[in-house]
Amino acid sequence: MSQTWLISGPPGCGKTSWILTTIRSHPGSCGYLRLSGLSEDGLEQGHDAGIDLAWLKDQCPQLQDLSKPDQQCADRIDDQLNLIELQQYRPPAHPGVDEIDPRISNQLKALQLQPDRALHFGREPELPEQDTLEFNRLEAWSVSLHDSVWDPNSLSSFWFELVNGAYGDVYRAKALMNLPDGRAFFCNWIVSQQGSQFLPLEVVEPPTGRPNRASELVVQGKALDGMGMQSTINDCLLSDAVLDMHQAPLREQQPDLSQAKR
Amino acid sequence: MAHAVISCLHANLAAVEAVLADIDQQGINTITCLGDLVGYGPQPNEVVELMRQRAIPTCQGCWDEDIIDGLNACECSYPSQLAERRGHLAHQWTDAEMTAENKRFLASLPTSLRRDKLLFVHGSPNSQHEYLLPDMNAFAALERVETAGAETLFCGHTHQPYVRELRGGSIRVRVQHNDSSSSEEQDMTLPMRRIVNAGSVGEPRHGNTQATYVIHDEATNDLTIREVSYDVAKTCQAIIDAGLPEVFAWRLSHGFEYAERADDASHVCER
Ligand SMILES: [Zn+2]
Ligand SMILES: [Zn+2]
Repeated sequence: MSQTWLISGPPGCGKTSWILTTIRSHPGSCGYLRLSGLSEDGLEQGHDAGIDLAWLKDQCPQLQDLSKPDQQCADRIDDQLNLIELQQYRPPAHPGVDEIDPRISNQLKALQLQPDRALHFGREPELPEQDTLEFNRLEAWSVSLHDSVWDPNSLSSFWFELVNGAYGDVYRAKALMNLPDGRAFFCNWIVSQQGSQFLPLEVVEPPTGRPNRASELVVQGKALDGMGMQSTINDCLLSDAVLDMHQAPLREQQPDLSQAKR
Repeated sequence: MAHAVISCLHANLAAVEAVLADIDQQGINTITCLGDLVGYGPQPNEVVELMRQRAIPTCQGCWDEDIIDGLNACECSYPSQLAERRGHLAHQWTDAEMTAENKRFLASLPTSLRRDKLLFVHGSPNSQHEYLLPDMNAFAALERVETAGAETLFCGHTHQPYVRELRGGSIRVRVQHNDSSSSEEQDMTLPMRRIVNAGSVGEPRHGNTQATYVIHDEATNDLTIREVSYDVAKTCQAIIDAGLPEVFAWRLSHGFEYAERADDASHVCER
């Protein structure tokens, strides 16, 4: 019997990490979907252009993308565990699948998904609690970094400034960032934690120009200085010429790449 | 007799005034400045004029050099593309703001000052742009002090104050006789040498917002790193009013500990 669980909780509570652990420990196949949540009074939803999915798929290449129903129908397998991630600030009034907001259950119906369980961070004891914070007011700011490659030292300066409050009271920052050597990092920070997580993706792109993978920065907090962030980011991203300067020596080390198209 | 050494004022008038008041209060009359009067901060003319008015012997810092020579420091002096872009922005602002007379003053500054066995430089005896970091290889550090013929080398530029004693070093030197092509090798044991970094008055990066400088008592040879509080908020407001990047004000108001430096800290730019 396949199972479908709806995993909800406020930003930064550890939904994606918990889902990754659950996928890894599940013996059968798994599916994943991230629903765009509902903004509540003064609490804005962080935009997501697929960095959670990109990160999970990098870690578990077999993971099925449930947003593509055709794929999912074709190989719906017994024992499959479907995990649906939803950013939701406040727990539903009552536990259980019957209390799911109709706007959410309609989205799921359209994808032929019917949750068997609804688990909310901060309510279910089986979910970790230490990063489940209560928010009263939260703004979101995000920027697509598709095609962008960071100067590595500039990225560490920017991230340091970001999480230390140079661009407003940041409670939560999450990103997938590309480096010139083809590596990418899943960067993760929440105000309740001491340091940031920088997790390298398994897939390393060849050093032949700009990588073709999801890349985005999502920031949530108060009094966010979007213009300030954008202007610093512009100073951190590499131009074609500088990117090539970084990559040329790497291509020479991998002779089969020197012929590859740029 | 005690003397004070200050460095890296970075156009932060409130910090410079507070440090000079602290020095005056201790009855110290001899002050040496290791440069970087300008850059990042909002009051380049005011700070230069104060130093001129007090007639404080000053050597030229990396920023002072760049303001006169134009920005021809190689990219290697910046730790990142971001630092480079911001540095250029601050440079352009300072360049436009400064009077011709104050620029001439910066141009007139020597790259080093010497008093007996004390040598005063901004970065290192090699260059205003070289960082002598506290964890630099001991031999390389000793080489810098010894080649310059100093017992105590005062430097700045890293914005992190420290006193480093280099004991019992020995070096092998090849002595070339000028009358012939013959040469011989000699082992020399060196007496204790010291590198003293004065930190920064106007842009501290040692872990808190206080301005730092050092006092050296020549009678006892004691060295003291002083930390001085000043009106940080006033300078931060002046940075914002001047239209400089707000992140400069943010940095100043937090006093984070970090060294802005090239990966290879001892890299010397070959311009
Ligand atoms: Zn300096
Ligand atoms: Zn300097």
